[in-house]
Amino acid sequence: MKINGVQIDDTFAEAFPMKATRIIITAMTLKWAYRAANAIRGFASSVIACGIEADIERELKPSETPDGRPGISVMIFAMSMKDLEKHVATRVGQSVMTTATTACYSGLDSEQKVSMGKSLRFFGDGFQISKVVNNRRFWRIPVMHGEFIVEETAGVTKAIGGGNFLVLAKTARHGLAACEKAVEEIQKVPGVITAFPGGVVGSGSKVGSKYKFLTASTNEAYCPTLKGQVKSELSDEIGSVLEIVIDGLDEESINKAMRVGIKAACSFGPAKGICRISAGNYGGNLGPHLFHLRKLLK
Amino acid sequence: MSALVFTLKNQPEFTLDVTPLTPENLEGKTLAKIKNLKIIYGNESVKLDTLFTVKGTDSSQIIIEKSTDKLINAGQGMTKGNITINGDVGDFLGQGMKNGTLTVIGNVGLWAGNAMSGGRININGNAGDYVGAGLPGDSFGMSNGLINIKGNAGDRVGDRMRRGIIIIHGKSGNYCGSRIHAGTIIVLDKVGKLPGEGMRRGTIILAKKPTHLSATFKSCGNLKMQFLRLLFTQLANIDGELSIFKKYGPEAHRFSGDLARNGKGELLILQHYK
Repeated sequence: MKINGVQIDDTFAEAFPMKATRIIITAMTLKWAYRAANAIRGFASSVIACGIEADIERELKPSETPDGRPGISVMIFAMSMKDLEKHVATRVGQSVMTTATTACYSGLDSEQKVSMGKSLRFFGDGFQISKVVNNRRFWRIPVMHGEFIVEETAGVTKAIGGGNFLVLAKTARHGLAACEKAVEEIQKVPGVITAFPGGVVGSGSKVGSKYKFLTASTNEAYCPTLKGQVKSELSDEIGSVLEIVIDGLDEESINKAMRVGIKAACSFGPAKGICRISAGNYGGNLGPHLFHLRKLLK
Repeated sequence: MSALVFTLKNQPEFTLDVTPLTPENLEGKTLAKIKNLKIIYGNESVKLDTLFTVKGTDSSQIIIEKSTDKLINAGQGMTKGNITINGDVGDFLGQGMKNGTLTVIGNVGLWAGNAMSGGRININGNAGDYVGAGLPGDSFGMSNGLINIKGNAGDRVGDRMRRGIIIIHGKSGNYCGSRIHAGTIIVLDKVGKLPGEGMRRGTIILAKKPTHLSATFKSCGNLKMQFLRLLFTQLANIDGELSIFKKYGPEAHRFSGDLARNGKGELLILQHYK
């Protein structure tokens, strides 16, 4: 199968179950909402060492936020409820509460919930105020900029992590141009994030390592510098491989995100250095969700 | 299915306890059974159809027509559905109500919404004293839900309330929000003497400056209260009718009190948008 002259490998991306929450950060201006959102998604590229994967989902108009101010929707993914519980409270406390004029609300309505204000309220040192409005409990924590308002809990849902595709290009410059366009298109799909910096992974990994203490290590089959040294998946003309990893709320949204992302990358074509599209496939050892590239592009 | 309509045949001479007329109590009952229900009229137990004509089938939508202030305990303990009362109604409206919507197109007596724990009461006219309060001997008043009064309210609105929201579009009497433990009371016209007297926590929002404020309230100055923005936006989300707050900004003069009882409550006097 080829799209715009770019070979699509007959393979599949392998994804795994995760837990996800969506939080809404508002502030006096969109600029300050972005600052808080960027702080919360910092060091949240992969669960391998960060504990969570997080990214901005989209900007919200004042009419879409609980307090009528401009806001940002951030999605946070983790392997378990325990991880999510730990990291959401910590990150909202250290990244959002510390950002001037912000407030933080749940962006998901579900039975399962993780604490936000429930833990953070103690920062109020006894001066915190609880308010139940429209069946939602909010905490008003007096802080030096005024009040930090945070919803007691954030809804949690089942989700999928690790949807991905690989862009095999002549050079890193070619690959990056195509990936930037692909990420731009993926960001338009609701319910998905690309948690790695700029949405692009420069150092894709395989499961396991020769070192016992490592759970993930470099994916040597796709490293251009090891072409002659290992059983490589790369042909001679390929000089750089970049990966786009997608976490999403369900299979449908990941399917859609992969489809628009791959098509955007392929639009560059071989003339602009894009040679092949492949996917991270670990032989079924990583997770139950399989996204077959050719099937989703049909 | 048409709403279940109870129309008073004559103006009652004595108090008429309409406790049984709730959606959950009438659910699954035939019209004949409903007509034979016993209700307390004065000090007697009488058959319902001696006082009301009954028609309709949908017990989740109850309408009481030609109501007067002799009807007491309307919507008591209701857990679902809608009750609409055309006319005035007496004391204890929605007492212990847990869910559903209760609407009165008229005035109501004392203790409306006392000890309610959920649902919504709409009063198109005026309400008497002790709206959303707790009965004597109860530790707390209403513990959740929303009471929306388009007219005026009497004294001691929300006395000892634990949670929930009371909105009064008109005036409120003396001791509004007295002894409240928590919750929110909003008064959009004048308020009587000593609002928030003895309040422990909770929020009283006033659109007009009170003439008498207890010395145990201390000014925190004029502030932009982010909470007001959240509250007003959420109220507008509950019901478009409650989007009237858009003319108020988040600016308010905050008083903390009652300092005689910890001082963790607040009284917010709204500043109008110019």
